[in-house]
Amino acid sequence: MTKLIYLGCLSSSKYKETCENAMKIIKFLDDKFVTLENPPCCGALSYHLASDEELKSHVTFVNEWFKEHEVTEIVTICAGCYNYLSHYYKKFIPGFNIKVRHLLQLMAQPDNILKLNLKHQGKKITVNYHDACHLRNADIPIIEEPRKILNSIEGIQLKEMENREKLSICCGAGGGVYSIFKENSDYNALAIFKQGKGRALLTACPFCYTALKRIQNNKENKVKKPVIKFEDFIVKIMDGVDPIN
Amino acid sequence: MSEEGKELFEKVKEKVDRLKENTLEKQFSDFWKMACYAKYRSYEKPLQYADSVNDYIEKNKEELTQMREKFVQNIDSYVETCIKRLEKKKFRVYYAKTNEEAHEIFLKELGDNKILYKSKSNQAKDLGLIDLCKENNIEIKETDLGDVLVQLFDYKLPSYQVGPGVHFKVEDIVAKIKEKYGVELIPEPAEIVKYFRNTYRKELLNDVKVSLTSANAIAAEEGCVVLLENEGNISLITRATEKHIVAVGITKLVPTVFDALLVTKMVERTNNADLAYISLIYGPSGTSDVAGTAVKGMYGAKEVVVILVDDWRTKAIHENLFYKELVNCISCKTCNFVCTASRAFGNVYASKYGLGALAIIKDYIHNGIEAAVADGLFLCTGCENCSNWCPAGVNLADIMRQLKKEATEKDICPPYLKEYKDKIFRDKNPFQ
Repeated sequence: MTKLIYLGCLSSSKYKETCENAMKIIKFLDDKFVTLENPPCCGALSYHLASDEELKSHVTFVNEWFKEHEVTEIVTICAGCYNYLSHYYKKFIPGFNIKVRHLLQLMAQPDNILKLNLKHQGKKITVNYHDACHLRNADIPIIEEPRKILNSIEGIQLKEMENREKLSICCGAGGGVYSIFKENSDYNALAIFKQGKGRALLTACPFCYTALKRIQNNKENKVKKPVIKFEDFIVKIMDGVDPIN
Repeated sequence: MSEEGKELFEKVKEKVDRLKENTLEKQFSDFWKMACYAKYRSYEKPLQYADSVNDYIEKNKEELTQMREKFVQNIDSYVETCIKRLEKKKFRVYYAKTNEEAHEIFLKELGDNKILYKSKSNQAKDLGLIDLCKENNIEIKETDLGDVLVQLFDYKLPSYQVGPGVHFKVEDIVAKIKEKYGVELIPEPAEIVKYFRNTYRKELLNDVKVSLTSANAIAAEEGCVVLLENEGNISLITRATEKHIVAVGITKLVPTVFDALLVTKMVERTNNADLAYISLIYGPSGTSDVAGTAVKGMYGAKEVVVILVDDWRTKAIHENLFYKELVNCISCKTCNFVCTASRAFGNVYASKYGLGALAIIKDYIHNGIEAAVADGLFLCTGCENCSNWCPAGVNLADIMRQLKKEATEKDICPPYLKEYKDKIFRDKNPFQ
C-alpha cells in the first residue's frame, strides 16, 4: 500500500524547490505519502499526438510500475499529470482504481484546511489566481478548490480575474507548441497578467508558471506583478515569511 | 520523419516568421490582438443589454444545444419538410448532394448574368462559389462595406469574418479611394461611409439583377429565410433585385422560426454587434392588388432561389464521422476570439475558409489533412477554450485533437513534436 507523491516530469526536472515545498505540505497533511525513485512520465504531453494503441501501451507500462510499487493513492502537483491520470488511465485500463488527486484537492479538504490553519501576519495581500486549462478541463474540474484555500487564509484576499474558471485565458504553453513557437504565450500570457488587480499572480500548473515567468522576466513587458507557484506561496505562509517577495 | 512533414512544418514556420516583419500578416495580427483582447473581456460585461454575453449564453445554451441536436437527429426529415414548405411559399428550391452539383445549379440560375452582388457569406466560401465565380469570369460585387474594402485593397489573406476590412487604416483607405476613384476624402470613418452611401447605394437600389446571400438560419417548418445585418446591404440586395439566390449548407436549417431567431440572437449577442436588422423572408415579393390576381415581383425580389447543399454534412452524421458535431455550429465565431492560437497568430492560423480552428477543419474536410497541417493545425495548444465557450456545445477541441492524431499517423506532424512524443514513450521523461 503506497501513497505516492507524483511530482511530474517538468517540476522534478526544473522546479526542485517547488517539489520540496509540495512535499512539505503533503507530508504535513498526511505523513504516509512518499516519493519514489525515477517515476515514469504519465504521458500527458502525447495525448493529442499518439494513436490510441501507443497511448494504451504507455499507460499500461506506467500502470505496471504503479502496481510493482503497490501504489493505491496518488497526489500530484502537476496540472497535466492530474488531467491525464484521471482521464486516460481510466479510459485505457479497465478497473483502474488508484485514487488520483491534485494537491489543491488534498489541501481543500475541510479537515485539511483546518489543519493548515493558514494565517498571513502583516498587511493584507491581494492575489489573482489563474485557472490552468489542465485543471479546469479535467474530468473532475479543479475550480473551487484553490478559491476555498485562498479564501481560508487570514490576511490574503483573492481578487478574481475577468476571464476565469472554465473560461480563463490559456497561457499558450500547451500542446507542445511552446517548445518552438513562443507567440502563443507572448500574447496570451501577457493578457493574463493584465487581468485582475492583485499584487501577485498564483498558478498551480508548472507549464503555466514557465510561460508566465518568461513574460514576467522580459523587462519590455513591464510586468510588476510576480507569478508564484501555489505551493511556494503556501509554504511561505506556513513559515511566516512574506509570501510574495 | 517524412519529407512531407518537414516541408509542411517549414511552410508554417515561414508563415509565422512573417509576423516578425512589417507584412500584411503583421498588420492584421496587430489589429486582431487588440480586437480579441477587447472581445474576451467584454463577454463579462453588460453592454447593450441588461445582462452580459456570458449570462445570455448561460441562459440559452441548453435550449440552443437541444434544438440543434433535435435537428441533427432528424436532419433528413427536416430537409424534406423544408423543401416542401419553401416550394409552397413560391421559393425555387434545389437540393444539391455535393458542392459540384450546387455549382451547376448556381451557374444555371445565373444564366447570362456576369455580375453578382453579394452579401458577406462564409457559406459561399465553404460551398466553393467564390472560386467558381472566378473560374467563370463572373464579377463578384461585394456589398458589405468590410468586403468592399477587402476588394478595394485586393486583400487575398483570410480576414475577420464579422468585419472583413476592419484592420485597414483610415489613411490607407482614403489613399486607395483616391488611387482607384480619383476622389480625395477627409481621413475620417464617417466621410468614407458617406462616400459609399452616396455612390454605391444608388447602384444597389437600381442595378442589381442577381444577388447572393447565405442565411443565418432557415426555418424548415415555416419555410422562412432569416438574415441578420447591420448595414442594410442585405435588405437592399434581397429586395431591390430581380433574383435573390440563397446558397447554404443544410445545417443552416432549424425547425421553427423561433429557433431561427434564437440562432440569430445568439450570433448577435456573442458578437456584441450593433445589428440593426433581422429579415424574415417568406418568398418573392408579390401583389394581388390588381383585380385580385396574384402576381409575383412587385417592388421586392421577383424570384427567390434557395440552394440547399449537403456535401459533407449528412455523411458526417450518418457515418458518425469525428467532425460530425460541426453541423451544430451556428457560425457565431466565438471560437476565434477565445482561441489561444488564433489570438496570437491572426490570419496565419487560418485557411481560405476564414480564421481559426473552424476554418482549418473546413480545409481538412475539403482538401485533406495536409492542407490542415499547412494551415497551422499544430499551433493549437489544446486549451479547449473553443469548446468551453461554444454556445452551441460543439467540441471543436476534440475534432482538432483527432486531426492532430491523423497527421501524426501519416507522419506529417512537426519534427519537434514527434521528438517530444518519442522521448515520452522511449525515455519515459520528455525533459531529460
